[in-house]
Amino acid sequence: MKNKRSFTTELSARQVLELDACTQCGECLKHCPVQDVTGNPAVSPPEKIRMFREFIRATDGLKARLFGPAEADQKLLQDFAKAVYECTTCGACGQNCPVGIFTQRLWPMLRKEMVKRGLGPIGVQAETPAAIKNSGNPYNKPAGERYKPWFPEQVKVADRSDIAYYAGCTGAYESQPMVKGDVLVLNAIGEPFTMLPPEEEVCCGFPLFITGQHDLLKDLVTRLVKGYKAKGVKKLICSCPCCVNIMTRDWPAIYGEALPFKIRHITQHVSEAIRTGKLQLRNKLSESVIYHDPCYLSRGVGVIEEPREVLRSIPGITVLEFERHGLNSRCCGSGGAARKVFHENAIAMGRQTIDEAVAKKADRLILACPACYAKVNEAMQGHKNQIRITDIMELVSGLI
Amino acid sequence: MEKGHSIIHMGKILIVAAYAVYAAFWLRFIGHALVWWKVSQRLDNRSLARPHLKLKACALTVLDVVLLGRVFIVNTALWIVEWVFHASFLLVVLRHLRFFLDPVPDWVWWLQTPGLIAGYVLPFALLYILVIRLLTKLEKYAAPANLFLLGLVLAISSIGVVMNTLFTPDLVDVKLFIFGIVHFAPAAAPGSVLFLLHFCLVLVLLLFLPTHIFTAPLVMLEARKREQALRLVIHEK
Repeated sequence: MKNKRSFTTELSARQVLELDACTQCGECLKHCPVQDVTGNPAVSPPEKIRMFREFIRATDGLKARLFGPAEADQKLLQDFAKAVYECTTCGACGQNCPVGIFTQRLWPMLRKEMVKRGLGPIGVQAETPAAIKNSGNPYNKPAGERYKPWFPEQVKVADRSDIAYYAGCTGAYESQPMVKGDVLVLNAIGEPFTMLPPEEEVCCGFPLFITGQHDLLKDLVTRLVKGYKAKGVKKLICSCPCCVNIMTRDWPAIYGEALPFKIRHITQHVSEAIRTGKLQLRNKLSESVIYHDPCYLSRGVGVIEEPREVLRSIPGITVLEFERHGLNSRCCGSGGAARKVFHENAIAMGRQTIDEAVAKKADRLILACPACYAKVNEAMQGHKNQIRITDIMELVSGLI
Repeated sequence: MEKGHSIIHMGKILIVAAYAVYAAFWLRFIGHALVWWKVSQRLDNRSLARPHLKLKACALTVLDVVLLGRVFIVNTALWIVEWVFHASFLLVVLRHLRFFLDPVPDWVWWLQTPGLIAGYVLPFALLYILVIRLLTKLEKYAAPANLFLLGLVLAISSIGVVMNTLFTPDLVDVKLFIFGIVHFAPAAAPGSVLFLLHFCLVLVLLLFLPTHIFTAPLVMLEARKREQALRLVIHEK
């Protein structure tokens, strides 16, 4: 009986129209990073949409209405589940869709349907809810180690402030130079900022949202929003693109009302501080750097210019661009929680990013996402091409 | 005499088939519309408030629909041929309205010559697209459904060209036959095998008419609204 549940339950009206609007033209495949490394059209966007249309027809089509819903083909369901979880959800397919399907939002909702059917998530992704319940973070690391290993002693955190900083789990546990750079730069700006205690700064919900496991979202978001509200926060700053994405796009809906504070990516805050003279970068950097746009920052929330403004404000620097940048940036392989399951794909995508940066003769590859930072560093191990990888705030903090 | 009888039988079969396909087309459309309606009844609180409809988004959507603007952005090389295909297909369909309407409106007469030219252009545009899709490495993927539809329209349009140049059927018979079907007063089928084949293939096309014809313009409008609203996601004051 379970498989006769409607396949449209988790979709918005717009998303159902989007599924019908796909012309199966295949233009998206040229921009799909998973296609680049697997060359397997079976896991491509039009094939996923074609399969899901068949599922909808089985449970919601006219025949299903007249004679009752049919059970969806189990083999096809399993193929679909693998395809939708192998995707990095980077959204490049939607950005280049001749019809304009918003795939960065569509794939997570199709994953949610797979979770409801017991076909998702895949592999270690399934351990995420239990880990978050147990420790507050998807890595199941102790809250006591959230800030302690990297937080600079000289930086003071206010008890209450208009400005708050959210470190995020991946930054705090896996990409510590990045979050250390964040707080050093915030400190240098000179405006007091507050943070939640480590046991209260729980997961933002993105790893659950992106894998289709939505059950804990309400609790996590409510805890965080109330925590910041209690500290009088008016502006919440975060450097993780995935956290920023869910905070801006989904937190209001999950929380049930407009947030009592604004969300800002750290590059927005820092570029403004540089413009207004609150932060001055005095040290010169005579290097060519290449900046990689994180998918959930560029396509997700449109933060494209601010990281470049920050980089260009560094004396002596030359900022290079990838062939695909801004709204068209190519995924580094870390997205969509696929990196933990489809490890080889992620490494291959990370190496493509490294190879292009090296081919462009960049001295340094600048990243602005903790997941990218962790995975691209991993991809460089044992790779023929080597380049110095630096987080944008790690770089800025070293030049103050 | 034998040939005449078989064409009369064929004509009756085709009339029944035409009504069946017509019914199937609407049933399919209603099936989709019911799904759209059912989902639209749900309170969608999963995302931010929907972006406002702006004049700029509407104008860009019109360009997207009329000039295939998004195809231009993603694949300029294919865009011109795709546009020629869609535009000539539309002109050919409009030219054929003279068989469905009586009296024939002036604007349909005005479109006869452009429609005729479009009829000759259409197969070449389709051939180009098929060659790009199948024989070059420019495209990574060709969906069987997409190829089937392209092949079908190529066959229909090629037969149309042959009928227009070499084996023209009796157009009065064609009009009586089509007009009869439309007005539920069936008439005998024209005695042209090519026409009957052309007509059968059109019925198959109607059965498999892709739903993006109805939904793509709405999705394009949503995409333009979303693009306009991207600066408001995290850049709001």
